Amino acid sequence: MDFPSWDLVATLGGGVLVGVVAILHVLVSHFAIGGGLAIAVIETLSVRRGDGALRELAKRSSKILILVSTVFGAISGVGIWVTIGLVAPAATSALIHTFVWAWAIEWAFFLLEIVTALAYFATWDRVSKRTHLVLIWLYAFSAFMSLVVIQGILSFMLTPGRWLATYSVVDGFFNPTFLPGLVYRTGICLLLAGAYLTFAALREKGAARARLVRLLAGFEAGGALLAYAGYRWWETALPGQVKELFAGAQPLLATLHTTRSVSLRALAFVLVVAVASLLVPRVKSTPVAVVVLLAAFLSFGSAERLREGARKPFVIRDYMFSNGILVTEVPKLNSAGILARARWAARETEASGKSRGEAVYRAECSACHTLDGYQSIRAVTGAMDRDMLTSFLDESRKDGEAWRARLVRGAAPPNPGYPSMAPFVGTDGERDALAAFLVSLQPSPAKEPNAR
Amino acid sequence: MPASPLLVPALDPAPIPGPAWLFHVLWVAMFVIHLLFVNTVLGGTLLAAAASFAGKRLRPAAVLFVEMNSWTISLAITFGIAPLLFLQVLYGRFFYSATILVARGWLGMLVLLTVAYYLNYAVKARLRGGGDAPALLAVEALLFLTIAAIQVAVHLLSVQPGLWDAASRSGFAILFDPSFAPRFLHFVLAAVSLAGALAMRQGIRAAEAGRDRTAADLLARFGQKAALLATFLQLVDGLWLLLSLPRPVLLGFMKGGGKTMGPLTLAILLGLGLLVLLAQLSDPLSAPKKTRHVTELILGAILLMVVTRHQVRGLYLAASGVTGLPVEAPQWGMFLAFLGTFVLCAALAVYACVRAWKDRG
Repeated sequence: MDFPSWDLVATLGGGVLVGVVAILHVLVSHFAIGGGLAIAVIETLSVRRGDGALRELAKRSSKILILVSTVFGAISGVGIWVTIGLVAPAATSALIHTFVWAWAIEWAFFLLEIVTALAYFATWDRVSKRTHLVLIWLYAFSAFMSLVVIQGILSFMLTPGRWLATYSVVDGFFNPTFLPGLVYRTGICLLLAGAYLTFAALREKGAARARLVRLLAGFEAGGALLAYAGYRWWETALPGQVKELFAGAQPLLATLHTTRSVSLRALAFVLVVAVASLLVPRVKSTPVAVVVLLAAFLSFGSAERLREGARKPFVIRDYMFSNGILVTEVPKLNSAGILARARWAARETEASGKSRGEAVYRAECSACHTLDGYQSIRAVTGAMDRDMLTSFLDESRKDGEAWRARLVRGAAPPNPGYPSMAPFVGTDGERDALAAFLVSLQPSPAKEPNAR
Repeated sequence: MPASPLLVPALDPAPIPGPAWLFHVLWVAMFVIHLLFVNTVLGGTLLAAAASFAGKRLRPAAVLFVEMNSWTISLAITFGIAPLLFLQVLYGRFFYSATILVARGWLGMLVLLTVAYYLNYAVKARLRGGGDAPALLAVEALLFLTIAAIQVAVHLLSVQPGLWDAASRSGFAILFDPSFAPRFLHFVLAAVSLAGALAMRQGIRAAEAGRDRTAADLLARFGQKAALLATFLQLVDGLWLLLSLPRPVLLGFMKGGGKTMGPLTLAILLGLGLLVLLAQLSDPLSAPKKTRHVTELILGAILLMVVTRHQVRGLYLAASGVTGLPVEAPQWGMFLAFLGTFVLCAALAVYACVRAWKDRG
């Protein structure tokens, strides 16, 4: 919040930017994990059975794996770091301070993953079969372990669990959604591996093609079932308020309910096609494989969007709001003012002659809203006049106090009208300035509350 | 330049999970490894582009570095993650602010890196097919140079909060910092020196393996000339870089005594020794021992310069007048878990590589 802000985030929306980079990365990284395991299984089977077609499948697939995993996977992984550091530096800092050793552990596994991937790809037909298998199984092990570690950190952000009371990194890591999320992600890894590698299998002809398609359909079906089980388990581990939102309790947030529905239906579609391919392999033509892959993307991408959406209005649930304000600092900021803390927002406003209200907007709202694009603040507040806005911000400020009371004293959580919105924090003067700024964004008649 | 205290974000109230010295040690150690791969990639690509433009006779140099890039780029990225983690623990508020001020460049760096990496695969395929790709290599080299410039810009901004106000109006303002040009050159020249030494070593290896001696000789001589020229320019540029430091930083450095002047003096001596050694090498193939010393001297100089760079960062931040140290709440159990995992993974990686090497047909 007291960091400089990037203009692109104000126009495009930080959430959109993080979402694009993160979804691209997870689609690739989960394939890199599942693909490693699938290739290890395929090559092991080829050695045991002396099956040349299986061997060719593993070889062809490893080219995809190396190009995708060691290049795009590695760079987009760093890309997430870069993006969240630009969009949410306070949250990134909080995560680093809590989990740097966990991240370092994940990095150690990633190092092994990269080295074995490069060695595996470079040694096709150059080393004994046994040595080659050692390389790919080491890759599969390290890739999966990196998933285990990263899942602990990701799930912590949604359900920090006992960490909120103990600040123990172990409590934070083994939080309520850690295991369910791990089961879900493992399923997705296997599903994506089957869906991607099918394209390599489809290059075979005749009986070998049917055999390979059936094997990969097994990965898809097993992965889809595991993902479904993991997802259902994950939902049961969510805080009650979030579960209600998923069930469509809040009409204003119908998107979450719809996204959940899309994710599960796409997963069901993948499962149906996978089972059909197991029974009748010729069902899996290239166009069908493309549709299955897109459905897998849709399902997983929607689930990721759901996870992000479910976390709102927090970036670390019950600890830090989406705009970087700590729950514990709410009373202090309500009395001293947000602009006492948001140095850059205040300074940029002074330098450019913009209003104090705009400075408050930049400090508190611009992490999630844009003026006219994604989550347009102009559209959201278009129907409100100044009195309504002032009253709304007052109520919102009470929610902030209630969130703090919940954290400090275990009081009941608030039930805000806009459950995804971080509460307003600041003085009465800042509230009025923000309301005035928001009104100034509206077409001219609404600017005059007395004209009614 | 002293910073306006109003623009420097407050310290993160969450404690850091270990003593600061531990993060400094880990950061420097990992950064050295990262830098070795980065220098190989940057210097290697520059030499590959130059060799490619020089025609068929230097083709082995282009092939060498393009083939190496297939894995050195990955390792450069991977080994860059650890120092990035430890840097954020210690200096997050400076680092995040700097990256946001040049956000387009910082995020764009990833696009440049992706394009450069895939471009390298395209060049590799073309070279393996018997063709040439000087234009593609030139673009790849240009992309890596731009990435180096972005890294230098972010570093200089992160240690000089006094420049943030100007940078918030234009991110390009940092390019006019007196230290930018010499620091960027310092980076590039070190990379060329290391890549040159690698070309020499590879030439000697090729000759020892009984491959085409003329080609091996050309490769070794090409590496020697590149390393010699880069080392000479580095000594001149090093002086420029030293004089370009803000006065309080320079004074702080001088007053640091043996702690700060020791590593720098030793690095300069190594540089001078390297220059003499390279100049004496009339026929690298006939002097494999001296060539090995060239590599050792370059590695030593890089290690010392990383230490110096780390000290200079501290002096810059001290000169900015920003105070405050993070609270420490060590997570020793987690640290030991990391150490154990790192040792296990490093051992497995070495085991995998050694086994594959011994087993190759």
